[in-house]
Amino acid sequence: MTATKIFHSWGKLRPATAKLLAPAWIPNDLPGTGPFLAYGLGRSYGDSCLLDGGTMIETRFLDRIQHFDPQTGILRAESGITLAAILRFCVPKGWFLPTTPGTSQITLGGAIANDVHGKNHHSAGCFGNHVRMLDLLRSDGSRHTLRPGDPMLAATIGGLGLTGLITSAEIQLVPIRSAHLDVELTRFCGLDEFMEISASSSETWEHTVAWIDCVASGNSLGRGIFIRGKWSDRGDLSTHRTARLTAPFEMPGFTLNRFTVQAFNTLYYRRFLGKTKTLHQHYAPFFYPLDGVNEWNRIYGKPGFYQYQCVTPTAAGTEPMKQILTKIAASGQASFLAVLKTFGDVPSPGMLSFPQPGITLALDFPQRDPATRDLFLQLDEIVRACHGRLYPAKDARMNARDFSQTYPQLESFKSFLDTKFSSDFWKRMTSATTPS
Amino acid sequence: MSTRPYHAAIFGATSAICIETLRAMAREKTTKLLLIGRHPGRLESVANDLRSRGAECTTLVADFLDPKTNWLQILTDNAQSDPWDLLLIAHGSLPDQDTTLRDPESLAAELHINFTSPAVIAAACAQILVKQNHGTLAVFGSVAGDRGRGSNFIYGSAKAGIDTFLAGMRHQFSQHRKIKIVTLKPGMTDTPMTSHLPKGPLFSSAEAVGTQSWRAIQSAPPVAYLPGWWKFIMTLIRILPSSLLHRTKL
Repeated sequence: MTATKIFHSWGKLRPATAKLLAPAWIPNDLPGTGPFLAYGLGRSYGDSCLLDGGTMIETRFLDRIQHFDPQTGILRAESGITLAAILRFCVPKGWFLPTTPGTSQITLGGAIANDVHGKNHHSAGCFGNHVRMLDLLRSDGSRHTLRPGDPMLAATIGGLGLTGLITSAEIQLVPIRSAHLDVELTRFCGLDEFMEISASSSETWEHTVAWIDCVASGNSLGRGIFIRGKWSDRGDLSTHRTARLTAPFEMPGFTLNRFTVQAFNTLYYRRFLGKTKTLHQHYAPFFYPLDGVNEWNRIYGKPGFYQYQCVTPTAAGTEPMKQILTKIAASGQASFLAVLKTFGDVPSPGMLSFPQPGITLALDFPQRDPATRDLFLQLDEIVRACHGRLYPAKDARMNARDFSQTYPQLESFKSFLDTKFSSDFWKRMTSATTPS
Repeated sequence: MSTRPYHAAIFGATSAICIETLRAMAREKTTKLLLIGRHPGRLESVANDLRSRGAECTTLVADFLDPKTNWLQILTDNAQSDPWDLLLIAHGSLPDQDTTLRDPESLAAELHINFTSPAVIAAACAQILVKQNHGTLAVFGSVAGDRGRGSNFIYGSAKAGIDTFLAGMRHQFSQHRKIKIVTLKPGMTDTPMTSHLPKGPLFSSAEAVGTQSWRAIQSAPPVAYLPGWWKFIMTLIRILPSSLLHRTKL
């Protein structure tokens, strides 16, 4: 039975209508003519997880564990299993994901296809650095078991689902003694202080990230809280709970404005007295603060929202990021939830992996076009000038020329494309007429 | 208390709700499972998942539509060395109503897989439990069996049949205090079987329904709605006068 379904990405900007395949078992081949695209939980922000008019393959029912070795922590599972489900399985046994993004509501296949990164990037690299093996089903019916060193694996890690359907994968987990972390929060003011704390933390703290206030200007410009944590020896191996709260409906557009965001940010910044605060925190609030509320993207209302995530390379220094922060603060358009992090120099495994050594900023913007896109064009200029780049998993509007110029392995990647796979992002990046 | 593993046989172990029921079981208990189904590859992938979660699993390939298969003999033999704690019947099929109604052969096949086959298996299982004087028989019915509705009455009537069949068996075996017969009635659940349907707020995740199924199997009420609030919804739908029901597209 072929049904069509309306699919959304996390930013809810442009839904896609596509034929639905929802296999309960790993398929032997892909029925129909395509084009195809795998769809996990739709947590990509822009259009890299959408294929309007095509056939989208929902992978979330492919969620079985194929093998787990409790001695070595090697886990093999079908690609639709969520990181949350992996954690519920492995945490009580004393194992954790080698690295994790800010949500556990993504699939294993999605984590690989976007080569996601986390708070321990400076020591662990990307998710793809911990993939030992994966199975890929191509539209011609061929199946490929890929291992590190295989160029098709390098194309598939971070390959945005365009090299075929990832059906299962094997990853290396890391041992933990407790499900809790020892955490230290430190207030900072300005990017230079952020860089100092970041540099002094990278050796001794496994997880580092900063929250930054992108609305404050003047003396408060660039104020934020640096968050660093390491796995604790104290505490039990309890898993997270499933979210009990759900954002009930799409909030009206005026809920989020300059003043409410400013009030929120000020309260957040002032949430503890003094310069630093230490915490003993479970992994759920530390890694996944937003997973506690289902469908939190509804707070941005019907128009949806963008996330802008860029990296400015180490060689460019801090000047470009300062310019970006100043521009964003002056625009008054930013939302809360701005995240700043330094990437380390562990080489990214994928041809299209986003991380490179430098500073990355990720920030939500309610969609108020044309003003929002105009601001992004200005930010693009700064990113372009310093040879930085944008993250496809977050993107809904990047310039195709910027994409091809900032991802130097794009041409090699193209030779591994499955010609019957595509996405709205890919169509946007490869269509002949692109505005410069 | 004995430390004997919880011993269960599952018919149709590859259904999504059933997998989640077994995962919930494996989380809490040391289990020894016999997974029975039609597809060897699928059975094996479910068995591997459950093995990773600590369950001891063997698989048995059997076609429930073929009366000559050997599952009954294997179940009976097994019971002698290690009595069954649970016999769980989970297979079923949700047909496309309109096309099935126009094709007598597939209509008969749907009624067979959703009623005749589970009823035959349930009757045989009950005998095994009587002989051991111990154990729970649990069968997946559905809220769809509570009232005939225009959109879903092939599946619904077969599930209603199973509901009545089990109610009758409960009566028949009411003197056997150590035997429990449970009808599990999931409401609308987000599974591959319903992936083509638009999802409203009434849908529950297979994980939630599976976890509640396991709770119900342990407490063993005669009928368990999953989640429990479906009982109120179905009570309303049952008492809704036909003149009103017929104006809806339910």
